[in-house]
Amino acid sequence: MTSVYTDRRRVLLGLGSAAGLASWGARRARAASTPLRFALTPVLLTSDLVMLEELKAYLARATERPVQLVTRRTYQEITALLVTRQVDAAWICGYPFVAFREELALVAVPVWKGQPLYQSYLIGRMDLKADSLADLAGTVHAFSDPDSNSGYLVTSAALAEMGRSPSRFFRQFFYTYGHRNVVRAVSSGLAASGSVDGYVYEVLREAEPELVARTRIIRKSELLGFPPIACAAADAASAAISRLREALVNMPGDIDGRRVLGMLRLDGFSVEKPELFDGIAAKMKLVRGAGE
Amino acid sequence: MKLHRLPITARVPLTVTIFMIAVSIFTSERVLSRLIETQTRQIQALADVYLDGLSLALVDSMVREDVWQVFDVLDRSQHRPGEIRPTETIVAGADGFVIASSDPVRIPSQIRVPANFTQPIAQTGKVAIEEDAQRAYVRRDVLYENQPVGSIYAALDIAPLLAERRHVLWTLILTNMALTVVLAGAAWFIVGRMMRPVRTLTGYLERSHDGQVDPIPDHVVALASRDYQRPFEAFNRLATAVAEREALGAKLAEEERLASLGRLASGMAHEINNPLGGLFNAIDTLKRHGADVNTRSTTLDLVERGLKGIRDVVRAALMSYRSERDERQLSRDDIEDLKLLISPEANRRDVLLQWRNELAGEVALPASTVRQIILNLALNACQATPRGAWATVSLAESADALVLQVEDAGSGIPPTGVAMLTGTADRPAPIGRGTGLGLWMTNRLVRELDGNVSVGKGAGGGTLVTISFPTRQKVELGHVA
Repeated sequence: MTSVYTDRRRVLLGLGSAAGLASWGARRARAASTPLRFALTPVLLTSDLVMLEELKAYLARATERPVQLVTRRTYQEITALLVTRQVDAAWICGYPFVAFREELALVAVPVWKGQPLYQSYLIGRMDLKADSLADLAGTVHAFSDPDSNSGYLVTSAALAEMGRSPSRFFRQFFYTYGHRNVVRAVSSGLAASGSVDGYVYEVLREAEPELVARTRIIRKSELLGFPPIACAAADAASAAISRLREALVNMPGDIDGRRVLGMLRLDGFSVEKPELFDGIAAKMKLVRGAGE
Repeated sequence: MKLHRLPITARVPLTVTIFMIAVSIFTSERVLSRLIETQTRQIQALADVYLDGLSLALVDSMVREDVWQVFDVLDRSQHRPGEIRPTETIVAGADGFVIASSDPVRIPSQIRVPANFTQPIAQTGKVAIEEDAQRAYVRRDVLYENQPVGSIYAALDIAPLLAERRHVLWTLILTNMALTVVLAGAAWFIVGRMMRPVRTLTGYLERSHDGQVDPIPDHVVALASRDYQRPFEAFNRLATAVAEREALGAKLAEEERLASLGRLASGMAHEINNPLGGLFNAIDTLKRHGADVNTRSTTLDLVERGLKGIRDVVRAALMSYRSERDERQLSRDDIEDLKLLISPEANRRDVLLQWRNELAGEVALPASTVRQIILNLALNACQATPRGAWATVSLAESADALVLQVEDAGSGIPPTGVAMLTGTADRPAPIGRGTGLGLWMTNRLVRELDGNVSVGKGAGGGTLVTISFPTRQKVELGHVA
């Protein structure tokens, strides 16, 4: 937990203020001085502001550019910013990536537990008598985000396989716009079950055991591509993206990068092919084919 | 309730206690009701702040009926520090169905708002306090562009406020109890001290009933407060006056005795004088006819009888006069002696004296005292009886008493005399002549012997005085004499 204020310059750069740019720009090329706009979806523990500052500081140093972090409440907003190139890169979910397969390109994929894969968990309250998704019919369900793979698509696809849709299957469902919120909703009893990112759930199990304690896992999905860092397809070959990719992949070799990875509980980032997300693409097809 | 019968040392502390309890109840009631008012206002104010914050944060979510957003706001606001904590908060839509509550397990979404939230507030309008449940219920209708979009219901935990109320109540009760005990104790102590001179005075007054009126010693009077010095001094003046009166009474009684003796003496002189004439005649006869044996012996008999009569009279007088130191027991002869003493007075007054002496031997009663009593009563009877009428003195002995009856043919003694004789008027000796001093003396002598006096009407219409003396040997004679 080293303070973000340890290096004043870094903070100034991080803020991306006009004053900061003025002094910076005197020594650097104009193109390099515009901040790198990096967006994050609520897939992460966005409440962890210290981690965000550390990440920003690391990226700024590694890419030799000021970095502007952009966060939004929903996946949809982040995806829209990325597709319309209002941000240079974004940490998005696999579902929007496959949904906008043509417009987007992969920068890097996080490596968790040695592989760039994760699972979606179907969780329920500790006292809920249910062993499978089918047992949850007529209950209240909490989704994370309509554009989330683990927090919506996986469960919807499973329902589609059963020939059902969420609105018919569940008595009521709602979106919490955050995987942690899904755990809160289930833990408090607001929802009987929820669809949650397995990675976030496992991190929470360590970070907030009392929150996770009242929930249990009903079903784990197959391994799917971890939410990637993506950029607009048009920018895929740019130097800025290459530098960002390099900065991400080199994170484990840097002391600040390791600290950020430690906070994220990730091993590192790797460069993967888009086929990693074929499983998600199949689920999307299934859900879209089923029709609402 | 016999409160006024209680001693003042109990009455004042009791009054103080009752007064203090009344004051305690009154003040406690006032303090508590003010506290309740203040707390209610406080609850209202805190609830308003809480509900204001919530309705601002919730209005958008309520319009959209966004279950998660509503719950998220409620969940975060639940953990606010403060004196009153919301235990449950419910957000309901305009249709009265729950959108979300802070405790979804007990109050899930899409049910009607439970009655225990809606009912108390429906009655009071603003804050409803349920002390048993330690809850206060509040409600706020949320408007969006002047359209009702729903209501926020909250149950607040007011246990700290109720605990404070109990604490205040107990503090009041204990403080008032301690104050009451202290004040009642102080009242008991102070009144006890204030009443001490009264007790002293009462003690002296009670002792005076036994006949002895002692003045209160000067150092006690000096110690008494100014309020009591005057009664003490007045009592002392009274005691002195009584003592003086007693002394005067005793002196008068002695004089009376001497006076009666004087009267007797004049009778006796007459009694002696009568045979003296005969004796002188006999001496003349002896001088002239002493040679004649018959005449001489007859004359000498005459002389002897006359001298015997004189000797008896003189002896009786001597006995009476000597009686102060006489501790003999009463015998028949003592009574006969008295007859000799009284007969001359009776003769002088032409009263016919009937003397019945049924005493056989000695009686366990002091001779001098009984003789004095009989003498007084017999002389009174002779005085009261008109010329030529009978006066009777009789003395009879029963198993355990000696009964004396003196009856005259007079017109009866006045009620004051009766009172004086029977002792019903417990008063000091009457001073002055003809005020019944003799009767008063008689009463005191009878009391000395534990006797019992009754006054009634005789067969002849006069006064009959009956006195019975117990003859059981329960009193030592020496002590009585």
